[in-house]
Amino acid sequence: MKDKNNISQELLETVERYHNDTMPKAERLSFEARLQTDAEFKTLVDDIQLLLFGIEEQALKEKLEDFHEALSEPIKIKKRAPNRMMTFTWFGVAATIILLVGIFWFLREPSNSRLYAQYFRPDPGLPTTMSSTENFAFFDAMVNYKQGQYDKAIDKWMVLHEKEPQNDTINYFLGVAYLADKKEERAIDYLEEVANGDQDAFKNDAYYYLGLAYLKAENVEEARKNFKLSALEKAQSLLTKLKD
Amino acid sequence: MGHTYKIDSQTELVHALKANDSIALKSFYTSNYHKVESFVLKNKGTKDQAKDVYQEAFIAVWKNVKNDLFIPKNETALQGYLYQIAKHKWLDVLGSLRFKKTHLLENEVALKDAFEYQHEEEQEVYKQKLRQAMDAFKSLGSPCKELLTTFYFEKKSLREIAEELQIEETTARNKKYRCMEKLREMVLASKT
Repeated sequence: MKDKNNISQELLETVERYHNDTMPKAERLSFEARLQTDAEFKTLVDDIQLLLFGIEEQALKEKLEDFHEALSEPIKIKKRAPNRMMTFTWFGVAATIILLVGIFWFLREPSNSRLYAQYFRPDPGLPTTMSSTENFAFFDAMVNYKQGQYDKAIDKWMVLHEKEPQNDTINYFLGVAYLADKKEERAIDYLEEVANGDQDAFKNDAYYYLGLAYLKAENVEEARKNFKLSALEKAQSLLTKLKD
Repeated sequence: MGHTYKIDSQTELVHALKANDSIALKSFYTSNYHKVESFVLKNKGTKDQAKDVYQEAFIAVWKNVKNDLFIPKNETALQGYLYQIAKHKWLDVLGSLRFKKTHLLENEVALKDAFEYQHEEEQEVYKQKLRQAMDAFKSLGSPCKELLTTFYFEKKSLREIAEELQIEETTARNKKYRCMEKLREMVLASKT
């Protein structure tokens, strides 16, 4: 094991150059060729690279503590000066909100959550029987979605979403998955994206689910607006009940 | 042309993150923390838990940017990405607290195939090794630790380091090599 322990200064510096991508092209090609053929050499190089990664990550980790301490400085200053006027304003705002919520509670009929429960069915999703290799990741998530594992489906679609933030199919299913997962606020973000996008395929459904999401969030005004924009029959029937 | 400027600034941020630019890292860290904290606090978490998931997410973003796994597509992409990762990490924590016992065995295991298992195993081995390297570096004596941090993390040249320490450049080079040998010994010792 003794010789395995030895790394020469030259090898260390070669790996540094490889790691920092500062190798001249010719050197890199022959270096990579050796990695392919010489397994022992590769292990050694991997070990050194791992050290370099480890140093950087640990150094960053320790830096984060400093950054975190810096966070609390401006907040302390804010807390030290409580403003009398501000406090009064906040009391006023709070009182108004309580009053408004009270009035709203009193007037709303029938119960929005009952309506929501009556109408909300998760979107059935797309058929997953086809063996489309291209969209494997998408349909893999669809399998989770159909099994009711919404958080898992969301995780997988989120990866695709990062690559194609404008894709209306992904945005739509992220939206309905979040809604099914009872996270209507997140659902609204993605469904709005579909409703305001330039593709039509999911628009009617997006408006409908957007309406439901707002209904769940107790925002009847926005819910009504979106049901109106959906051509789906159930959207229109829900709209009449909302008006009652 | 305001739009172009903003995309440029994401590109600049990517550059700065790759170069471990302290100022950029710090401002990226501090400007995105509070949003994550309020999400965690709103979802049954504490400040300490918020800090933990945020730091984990921050390192994950930094790593993915470094390895070109994430390339920003719009002017707030990196900020959004950091928030999404932190949020999902927190939801994972909440989820595993709630569902671990009932759901894990039935669903997750059944859906994994052999390939996934093998891949995961390799990843586990790699993570384990990385952790050993990190732990060794954590407990490395401070002169070596500082030298290696300035060279490998802050990416200062040997000449700059030599000037700061008021030593010859060749001495700095040899010191660095010896420190790496020491670190490697510590890693190898921790394996057995």
